[in-house]
Amino acid sequence: MAEVDLVTPVEKAMRMLSRFNMDFYDVFASYSRSLNISILGKGINEATSHVDIGIGVRVFKNKGMGVAFSQSLEVNDIETVVKRAVGFARASQPDPYFKGIPGPSKAPEVPGLCDDEVVNLTLETASQISKEMIEAAESVRRGAMYFGGFNAGHVKAYLKSSTGVSVGLEKTYVSVNIQPVYREGDDVGSSYEFDYGISLSAINPQWVGKTAAEKAIEQFGSKKVESGSMPLILLPEASGTSLFSNLLAALSGESAVKGRTFASGLLNKQVGPESLEVLDDGTIPGAVASNTYDGEGVPRRPLKVVERGVVLTFLHNSYSAGIMNVESTGHAIRGGYSGYVGAGPSNIRVKPGDSTLEEMIAETRRGILVTRASLVPNMVSGEFSSTIDEGFLIENGEKKHPVKNLMAGGHILDLFRGIELISKEGRVFGGGHFFPAVKIREVKLSGE
Amino acid sequence: MKDLLGKIVQKGLSEGTSFCEARYFEERVNSISVENGIARVLSSGILRGIGIRVIVGGHWGFASTNIPSRESIEKALEDAIGGAKSITSFAREEARIVEVKPSIDTVVHDVKINPEDVSPEEKVKRMLELERDARTFSDRVKDTFISYRDIVTRVIVCNSFGTLVEEVTPRTSIYCRVIAKEGENMQEGFEGLGNVIGYELVEGINVEDFSLKAARKAVSLLSAHPPPRGTYPVVVDPRVGGLFIHEAIGHNSEGDLVFSGQSIISDKMHQKIASQLVTIIDDPTRRNYGHFIYDHEGVKAKPHVIMKDGVLVGFLHSLESAAKLGCEPEGSARAQSHHYPPIVRMSNTFLAAGDMTLEEILEDIDLGIYLSGSQYGYVESQKGQFTCKVEEAWLIEKGDLTEHLRDVAISGLTLEALKNITAVGRDLKMEMPGTCGKSGQGMYVDAGSPHFRIDSIVVGGRR
Repeated sequence: MAEVDLVTPVEKAMRMLSRFNMDFYDVFASYSRSLNISILGKGINEATSHVDIGIGVRVFKNKGMGVAFSQSLEVNDIETVVKRAVGFARASQPDPYFKGIPGPSKAPEVPGLCDDEVVNLTLETASQISKEMIEAAESVRRGAMYFGGFNAGHVKAYLKSSTGVSVGLEKTYVSVNIQPVYREGDDVGSSYEFDYGISLSAINPQWVGKTAAEKAIEQFGSKKVESGSMPLILLPEASGTSLFSNLLAALSGESAVKGRTFASGLLNKQVGPESLEVLDDGTIPGAVASNTYDGEGVPRRPLKVVERGVVLTFLHNSYSAGIMNVESTGHAIRGGYSGYVGAGPSNIRVKPGDSTLEEMIAETRRGILVTRASLVPNMVSGEFSSTIDEGFLIENGEKKHPVKNLMAGGHILDLFRGIELISKEGRVFGGGHFFPAVKIREVKLSGE
Repeated sequence: MKDLLGKIVQKGLSEGTSFCEARYFEERVNSISVENGIARVLSSGILRGIGIRVIVGGHWGFASTNIPSRESIEKALEDAIGGAKSITSFAREEARIVEVKPSIDTVVHDVKINPEDVSPEEKVKRMLELERDARTFSDRVKDTFISYRDIVTRVIVCNSFGTLVEEVTPRTSIYCRVIAKEGENMQEGFEGLGNVIGYELVEGINVEDFSLKAARKAVSLLSAHPPPRGTYPVVVDPRVGGLFIHEAIGHNSEGDLVFSGQSIISDKMHQKIASQLVTIIDDPTRRNYGHFIYDHEGVKAKPHVIMKDGVLVGFLHSLESAAKLGCEPEGSARAQSHHYPPIVRMSNTFLAAGDMTLEEILEDIDLGIYLSGSQYGYVESQKGQFTCKVEEAWLIEKGDLTEHLRDVAISGLTLEALKNITAVGRDLKMEMPGTCGKSGQGMYVDAGSPHFRIDSIVVGGRR
């Protein structure tokens, strides 16, 4: 692989920008190479690769912002990008909340974010891994049709700002996923499993294939359930997407501090039981959501977000921190070279409880075991009305048949208030997130 | 560029590919974000590159590059061929395509006002006018946002059938979002417009139908109630209807999901799977947000009838799905950019008009729910289970709209829901310009319907 120089084009853009009397600016360039194996139908059907480069500029003048980007690092294109961003900054209007962009800080490098094996990966190896995943599914039962794939990438980026920030980033990632579909007459058994990490050794394609097939077969014979109010037991795959990711997203950035999310008023308020603790930690070695610096060059650091059920803090980038006159917590998320910088969580870690999943099920007279769902609320109001994508009826402490066409509705904060049990076991996602299973006392369900 | 693409295709053939496609993609984007009377961010970007797709030994390979030099494109060709060869020992799903007659054409969609000819200052002035009316509508309006975007997409497709087509498509879109607040209660209103059109879209906006409408919706939702839960008859407006058609049947009719066993209707061709009132069409030739003349495999687009009087009559096709399902491709393969291979996508998908008025559709419902405005939806096509999240709703009592409801969603099973459509209105509208996600690719689409009634569907509620 040829060495990619991101520093020279960034420096060129910085020099051009220095001639325009702007108040603040930053330049971000990135390179990525990705390999993908597509699985469709009977198995592997396509191998793809792509190389992407680009440069983006953010310019501030009189508290107004101009942004421009290009997928070319040629000098003429960089000049066009700079001139457009400068012109836009002049045409935009003062944002009274804008206080500036961060200066430089030093942080110890988070180890284990780049894996040489992924950097040098070939499509042949990627195909072999995909084949192993399919074979693991077929070891459970043959005859499925599949949808899924393997994806791996290597990303390099460089950020430099007028305030002295100068940071580089190099990461790798790899992911596998598969959805087997079995049919018996008009009955369908299908499910989905995935894994992702920084390195090939961090993922287990055989486990993914085998688990997906086992879960798919369990879905035969799904039935409708009548409307009612019942306890929900959310497995880690559902608790993360339904509870914790939504809460931390609603506590992040300008929407949170400007009072535009359901969590805006939660600082120092009790949201869940005393046993609930949530940490955000972007410094975990070898985790996909870790980085030494955030998207504005501020060092990542562990942040206790919920302790004894009480919300302690928002997750800030420099803009939202400026509104509250506090320091950035290092949660700026830069969406590549297109220039947008928001805020959001990194690795979310929920403290394990003291129940086992078996106990949770055994103690449930009638309820739903949710194996896959995203109970995504309206981020402004917090109210949700969502489908339970995959789950099972529990009766008299036993897992019964899979359910279909069943919806849950309510307010996300009622789900948190209703947390009755947190499991001691859980699942680690991407080498960093940790979500346990969670039992919620009672949720309104719509069915037959 | 066309000469270069042609040379690359010839080189691909000389190196043993049985099919070679070189696709140039360029997109220029300008956007403005207004928040509470301030044009906070103006931005602009250029995406540009080439995607090469080949079949070697019955296997697909694809590679892309951002650098439009011959050397870089030849490297992408080498990578694509290498990719196809890399799966030779592992591939089980053969790459097979329909051979089509070559097309040679250039299409440039005309607009009245080229957005790139309008200065940023003039655009900002107009955005602020539109936003001001929403902001000053009520003291309960907390926040107002306008997002404006103009895009010009240029695609050149060159392939080993001899096809060489270029299409330049301008799209303009604008969205207004309003947050209203009363005590701890916060609600949102949303309006969006978009089409294959120039800046005349923005000049022609009537605030009453756009930003004021979003503000009115947000404020009125403050006093709306949570919906009841259970199974109800529902009547959907053209936006919810469009979302329903897109999710419940549109994705299921995509040929790649059909041949790969991921569609609940894969074995239902020529069967009656919906009520007699259901005729569903996907029509890229209509001038809506999903409009195009040639797809990204260079196939000239035609209207596709998916369902006729309740009978499944057609799927949407790429060259590959047409070959595997024994059909003719009619132009449904598109790619988000040069970095992605074309896959089967919907364009402008709609339920054809019937002959009833809204009053007639409502009149014999004792207790039901009227659903209005779409937020988002998704489907698990292999199971045929779909979800549609709507903006607002009203209780229907004895044929009249009564209690105002908020945060409503419906969930259904495709094969049940289509049979339960028992009344279709005459007022077809396409009002859902947006982006549909599939396999990691976003694509411009539109959808619509007349008002129609579904006799029984699960409504997610909180009381």
